[in-house]
Amino acid sequence: MGSAVNLALKMGCEYAEARVQRDFGETAIMKNGNLEVVAYVRQKGLGIRVIKNGALGFASTNRLDKREVTRLVQSAVSMASASVSTLRKPVSLAPSSAEESDWTVREKTRISSVSLEQRLEVLQDVEKALTEPKVQVRLPGRMLVLTNWDSEKTYLNSEGSRIHSLVPRVSFYYMLTALEGPGETAQRFNQFGGSGGWELVKAWNLPSLASEEATVLGRVLREAKPPPRDEIDIVLGSEVVGIICHESCGHPSEADRVLGREAAQAGESFMKPEMLGARLGSEVVTIVDDPTLPGSYGYYLYDDEGVRAGRRELIRKGLLNTFLHNRETAAALGVESNGAARAMAYNREPIIRMGNTYMLPGDHSLEELIEDISNGVYIKSFMEWNIDDRRFNERYVGLEAYAIRGGELGEMVRNPIVEMTTTGLFSSVDAASKNLDFNAALCGKGDPEQDAPVWTGGPEIRLRNVKLGGLPS
Amino acid sequence: MRFNELPLHVVQLGLKLGASDVACLGVHERRRMVRFANNEVTVTQTWNSNLLSVLLSRERRVLVSGTEDISHRGVDQSVRRLIEASKAAAPSESYTPLPRGPFKYQETSGSYDPKLAEMSSELVEHAKTAIDHALYAGAKRVAGVMICSTTELLLATSGDVEASHRGTSVETSVRAFVSDEASGQGLSISRNAAGFRADLAGERAAEIAKLAVNPVEIESGRYNVVLGPSMFANLVNDAVRAASAFSVDAGLSFFKGMLGRRVGPPGFTLTDDGVSSEGVASRPFDDEGVPTGRTAIVDDGVLKSYLHNSSTARKFGVESTGNAGWIAPVPWNAVVSQGMLREEELFEVMGDGLYLTNNWYTRFQDRANGDFSTICRDGAFKVKGGRIGQPVKGVRVSDNMLRIFGAIKAASKERHWIRWWEVSIPTLAPSVWVKDLGITRSTQ
Repeated sequence: MGSAVNLALKMGCEYAEARVQRDFGETAIMKNGNLEVVAYVRQKGLGIRVIKNGALGFASTNRLDKREVTRLVQSAVSMASASVSTLRKPVSLAPSSAEESDWTVREKTRISSVSLEQRLEVLQDVEKALTEPKVQVRLPGRMLVLTNWDSEKTYLNSEGSRIHSLVPRVSFYYMLTALEGPGETAQRFNQFGGSGGWELVKAWNLPSLASEEATVLGRVLREAKPPPRDEIDIVLGSEVVGIICHESCGHPSEADRVLGREAAQAGESFMKPEMLGARLGSEVVTIVDDPTLPGSYGYYLYDDEGVRAGRRELIRKGLLNTFLHNRETAAALGVESNGAARAMAYNREPIIRMGNTYMLPGDHSLEELIEDISNGVYIKSFMEWNIDDRRFNERYVGLEAYAIRGGELGEMVRNPIVEMTTTGLFSSVDAASKNLDFNAALCGKGDPEQDAPVWTGGPEIRLRNVKLGGLPS
Repeated sequence: MRFNELPLHVVQLGLKLGASDVACLGVHERRRMVRFANNEVTVTQTWNSNLLSVLLSRERRVLVSGTEDISHRGVDQSVRRLIEASKAAAPSESYTPLPRGPFKYQETSGSYDPKLAEMSSELVEHAKTAIDHALYAGAKRVAGVMICSTTELLLATSGDVEASHRGTSVETSVRAFVSDEASGQGLSISRNAAGFRADLAGERAAEIAKLAVNPVEIESGRYNVVLGPSMFANLVNDAVRAASAFSVDAGLSFFKGMLGRRVGPPGFTLTDDGVSSEGVASRPFDDEGVPTGRTAIVDDGVLKSYLHNSSTARKFGVESTGNAGWIAPVPWNAVVSQGMLREEELFEVMGDGLYLTNNWYTRFQDRANGDFSTICRDGAFKVKGGRIGQPVKGVRVSDNMLRIFGAIKAASKERHWIRWWEVSIPTLAPSVWVKDLGITRSTQ
């Protein structure tokens, strides 16, 4: 690694960094009660990034012999050099101190100490909890996926940083399809994930939760009525609030989008540098991104540019407070990097990513949020969602949802649609509960795409005077 | 041991250690990428990778691995790990013996261009060309990506298969902006250098962006709509994924239970084509060594076939369609039949409605019934009296896949190869006129 960096400097680069990354993952897939496969993935290689005359180049290989590494550096430098003539402004990196660190996420119960049989039992236990007599509905489609994944990185750069890390992660997701009558279906996808060991899987209590959610699917099919069409108040569950924080605040806060670098793929942002301090929502809305939450799926202590990670308040009391930065965007906007550069494999360049993005809780109970509503809907979970490439028009379609009448929960409602603008949604929030819960997700971005593990989360929140979306009836 | 010797070595070692079936696919890929934004290159990237994927079955246990540790020791460890794991795993109902070869393969013409295999810094020149042509055509800002790949596949299986294939491709996706809300996309995809037109991709992106200035909002409702090739290809990608027999079996397909039933208008044909001379995902054999070919998924509007590997084929009582992935069948290139009308005639026969050029973020409320929405990006326009008119914004398609395919009224003669960040399966798609498409917008 050191020789790769030194060679790049000898070749005239003003900056070079090298990262050797080893990823080892195991996945078991059970479909409709059948163990389809146990799969293993082992990746190890070297990625280097150089800046030559203001042009940025990245190259990677999984062959680590001296000859190949030399060829790799030459390739990165020559490609970067070829692009110098297109530059309007050379790439520069915001200053960052040289860091030396060796950090590891501890597994209380090491995955390697749990036999494959024991791990597969988890899938079988969930499968047993999904039988029709237990969940009161037929489930002809059941996909259960259990994964553990170690990511070990050694990073160094030409400014003296040298960081080693090891993060073990586990995740579990299911996709359930419920069928009622001859052909009416409802589906539920849910994902759990964290950094740590087998203790996380045990704590998720998966059979019980999957059984509860499957039972709800049956109720959705049998009981849910169309949602109201008039102006109502809405309570959103923390799962929905989490995806909103991620999609409608986290992504538009990514400074590479703000500056247009992702325009052709993941898109740009309605947020502009001159909007810092502008009001985007009510005073109730404070959204943070914090990669340092212990046990979180998006956990890291140093980013992949060697910058110490920390908590970032993206929206503070409704005002746009800061963007997510790497060293390149920080230099472009004259600030310091806040450590948001992540690379998901040795063969991926570090780009700006979220860690764990969530809304801060308020001081109400869920019951207090609901009891003050005369006509409304409580949307506890969702399935479909999307948002435009400027992150301004979004849609979240509820799955488990209930009518609210006279301050009390009523019958289930089917597929209520929150279809609003980002500022319209955040401005409608008038209260948040004191609860805080998180969901795991894999966030896609970059070209080639990189799926980054993240948490999304928040309290329950109340939106006032909102019309649900969808087609006119 | 050289990389091209490893697949056979893995098969022999696996069998020696007690496996009943072993297949090993070696993939050597050399890839170069130039990304650009705001009229300048933002990063250049190069990859040189060697990946070994292994499928191993023992006593009906099925295991797979992917490793980039291609040292002799690393490869042997990988095989031994699978053997050990097979002792702990439960038997799989999906186990099916690997297809027996040897097979005859038909190499598609023009799949390998030495000029692309050598291309490196010339890719930057292509980026400059796309930027310059878009700017000259009226764009203010240009972003995009140029990708050039050389891939070599080496397959060995215990079914007496030893096969290899190499292919090249070059592609670009260009996005031009005239303002923040006025953008357009242009694409060029080719297996050879001669067929690659970065200049036209840049010009096309700018032409759409220029038309898209000062968009207005429209009301939610049902509209007659012409979907451009990029947008239709996006929906077709979900259709061919839904045609994978694995998706059908997992409850993740709106095509489940639809074989033999009408899912599109007469004349509408959707084919998975693994041997197309133009399709950048074409290859002569699948991951089990079965020859690839053309599979009509929808023929003359009727759902004819799912896509199969040997395992799903056995379960469904049919022959493999030559679409193996190890676990799930995978599509190669999606090809939609051409229609009867020129593109401008589509607008004329539709009369009034909308023209949507591109989209992203297609997400399902229920993959089993096909309820979904997707949101438009780049140029979207009103169509009045058969002519493209005022640009619109904030447009979301909120509908059902089966209903949309059933509501196709006409397709264009012209078809375009589509592949970009949001459309991963190469798709040859026409523009289509869809009747009464559900359109929604933000309520506040």
